[in-house]
Amino acid sequence: MNLVGISLNHKTSPLELREALHLNREEIISLINRIKSGNFSEGVVISTCNRTELFGFPKDGTIDSDFLIQQLIEFKPVAGIKPEHFNRFFSCGAIKHLFSVASGIDSMVLGDSQILGQVKDAFEISSDLNFSGSISSRIFDTAIKVGRRAIKETTIGEGAVTVSYAAVQVVEKIFANLNKKSALVIGAGETGELAAIHLHDKGIGKIAISNRTISKAEELAAKVHGEIIPFQFLKEHIYNFDIIISATSSENLILTADEIRSAVKKRRGAMMVIMDIAVPRDIDAATREIDGVFYHDMDSLKVIVDQNMQKRREQIPLVEKIIIEEMINFYSWYNALDVVPTIKAMRNFFDDIRMDELNKLKHKISEEDYSKVEDMTKRMIGRLLHNPTVKLREYAETGDNSKEVTTNSLILKELFKLGNNSNNSNQEKETH
Amino acid sequence: MLNTIITINILLPIFYLCSFAVYLYDFLWEKKLLSNAKRIALFLTLLLHLFYLLARTIEYDHPPITSKFEIFSIIAFSICFSYFLLELLTDIRGTGSFILLISLIFQLISSLFVTNNYVVPEVLRNRLLGLHVINALLGYSGITISAVYGLLYMTLYKNIKSNKFGLIFDRLPSLEILERLNYFSAVIGFILLTVAITIGIIWLPAAFPNFSYMDPKLVGTLLVWLVYGYGIIRKTFTDWYGKKVVIFSLVGFVFAIVSLIATNTLAKTFHSFY
Repeated sequence: MNLVGISLNHKTSPLELREALHLNREEIISLINRIKSGNFSEGVVISTCNRTELFGFPKDGTIDSDFLIQQLIEFKPVAGIKPEHFNRFFSCGAIKHLFSVASGIDSMVLGDSQILGQVKDAFEISSDLNFSGSISSRIFDTAIKVGRRAIKETTIGEGAVTVSYAAVQVVEKIFANLNKKSALVIGAGETGELAAIHLHDKGIGKIAISNRTISKAEELAAKVHGEIIPFQFLKEHIYNFDIIISATSSENLILTADEIRSAVKKRRGAMMVIMDIAVPRDIDAATREIDGVFYHDMDSLKVIVDQNMQKRREQIPLVEKIIIEEMINFYSWYNALDVVPTIKAMRNFFDDIRMDELNKLKHKISEEDYSKVEDMTKRMIGRLLHNPTVKLREYAETGDNSKEVTTNSLILKELFKLGNNSNNSNQEKETH
Repeated sequence: MLNTIITINILLPIFYLCSFAVYLYDFLWEKKLLSNAKRIALFLTLLLHLFYLLARTIEYDHPPITSKFEIFSIIAFSICFSYFLLELLTDIRGTGSFILLISLIFQLISSLFVTNNYVVPEVLRNRLLGLHVINALLGYSGITISAVYGLLYMTLYKNIKSNKFGLIFDRLPSLEILERLNYFSAVIGFILLTVAITIGIIWLPAAFPNFSYMDPKLVGTLLVWLVYGYGIIRKTFTDWYGKKVVIFSLVGFVFAIVSLIATNTLAKTFHSFY
C-alpha cells in the first residue's frame, strides 16, 4: 500500500510554528485542490491548533512524502518552517500513526477526545471534494472506530487534566446538584473563562462574573449567561455564592480569611467551595482552616491533574492493543480484496470451457437437446463452483484469516492459470 | 426442612462474602460489567436469607428471635435489606462494601453459633413480639447504616480538606449525597423505632406482669429515639446541615450502642429473653 503521511505536531515543532501553520476549512479545501491536481489520487488534510497532518495516495504508486511537505510549505509559507519539522510515514506506519492520532494517544493533552471529531471532519471535507476512494474511506472509518473504542473501552479520556477542570471536579465531589448552586468567577482571563465555561457546561444554577475591567466581565458573562458583580462590591456579595473561583492576575490578596469567615457566618454554616487558581494567590490560604470551607489552590489542584495524567498514561497499552486489533482487521479486509477478481476469473474460466464444449456440440444435436445440455452444463458448473465461490466470498466479506485468503487465491490462480484474467479487475487495489 | 435450613445456614455467610467481595472489587477497580452483577448477587443473597428466615419460622414454629444468634441473622438481613432498598431508590452503588461488611460479620457469627430452638418460652412465639422485635432491629439497622454514611462523609470531608485525592475521593459519591443518605437512613430508622416502641408500649404491659415504664431498656431506647427525633427535627425545620448533622448522627449512634450494651449487660430488665 502506498499511503504516505506527514505530520507537524507538538513533538516535532514549537507552538508558534504549529499555530502559524494551522489551516482553516477554506485553506484545507484550497490545499486539497492543489494536491489533487498534482500527483495524488486520494488524500485527507487534518489541521488543528496543535497539529497539521496530510495523508494521501500518490497516483504513480510511489511513496514520496516530500511532495506533500513541499506543497504544504508552498501553500502556507511560515517563517522558520523546515522539512525537518515534519514526521514522515508510509503504508502500515501511516495507518498506525493516524489511528494513534484518532485515539488521542498522540495528542499533547493525552486522551484528548476533540481530535476524533476533527479527524472525522477532515475526512468529510475530502469526501465532499471527491478526493477519497474505497480504501481511504475504509482507513478513516477504521480510524474513527479506533477513537470510539478508545473512549468506550478504556479510561484514556477520563479525569480532569487541566486545573480549571480539576477545580470543577472537586466541586462535584462536594455538591450533588450544581443546578441548585451559585458560583462566582473572579477574573475574566483565560483561566477564569475556562472555569466559567466548565461550570456552565455542568449546568450551574447561577453564575456571576467579577472583573476589574467591566467590559471583559460583560463579555464572559454573555458567554455563560451569567450576571456581573462589580469588582468594588465583590466582598459584600461573596456570602451569596456556594462556589468561588478566583483567577485574577492581582499581585495582592483579594479576599482575606476573615472576610471568608464572616461570609460563612452569614451563610449559617452552609458549605462553601473556594478555588484559588491564580498565581500569586488571590485568597488567603488560611481560609482552608475554616470549618465548612473547602479551599484549594493551584498546588492542590495540580495533584489531581498529575494523578489523572498518570491514570491516562496507564491506559496507553490498552489503546495500543485496540490500534493493533483494528490494523489486523483492516489488513485482513485489504488482503481479501484479491478474492473478488479471483472468483470472477475462475467463473469466467469455467464458463469459457463450457461454451467451448457446447459450440462443438451445437450442430450435432437438435436445438431442443442443445438447450437441455446447455442448462445441464450451467447447473453442473454452478454446483461445482458453488462451494469455492461461497467460501472465498465469506473470507472477503468477513475479512478474517487473510493468510488463508491469499493462499487459496494463489492456489486457484496457479491451478487454473488465472493470473492474466484477473489482472484487469485487480487494478483498483494495485493503484494503492 | 431441617437439612435445608442447615445447608442454607452454611451457604448464607458464603453468599454474603461473595456479595461483599463483588462490591469491594467494584469499589477498588470500578468495572462497568460488575455494576449490575453485584446488585444481582445482593438480591440473590437477600432472597436466600428471606427463605432461610421463613424456613426457620415454619420448622421451629416461632419467629427467629429466640436467641442472640437468630437475632444476629435478622440484623444481618435487615441491614442488607435496608441498604438494598436505599441503593434501588438512590441508584448510588459505590458504598455497598462498607455496609455489607457489617451484615457479613453478623451472619457469620450467627451461622457459627445458632442452634435448633424447638423449645422456647411461650411469650417468644407471640406474633406481636415478632413484629416488635423486627421493627426494632430494622430501626437499629437504619441508624447503623446512617452511621456508616456518616463515617464515609467525615472521611471524604477530611480527604478533600487535606487535598487527598485517592480512592475515597474517586469512588465515593459527593458529600451532599452522603449527607442525604445519612439523613434518610436515620429517618427510616427513626420511623421503624417509633413503630417498635409503639407496639412495645401497647403489648408489653399485657404480656409481662412485672412490666415497668422505668425499665432500663425501655428508657434507653426512648432516649435514643429522643436523640434522633431532636436531630431530625433540627435538620428538617431549622438550619442544620452538613457536618453538624453528620456528627450528630454519629453521636446518636454511639449513644444507641452504649445504651444497648448497658441495658443488656449491666441493668436488670424484664425485657431480656436470652
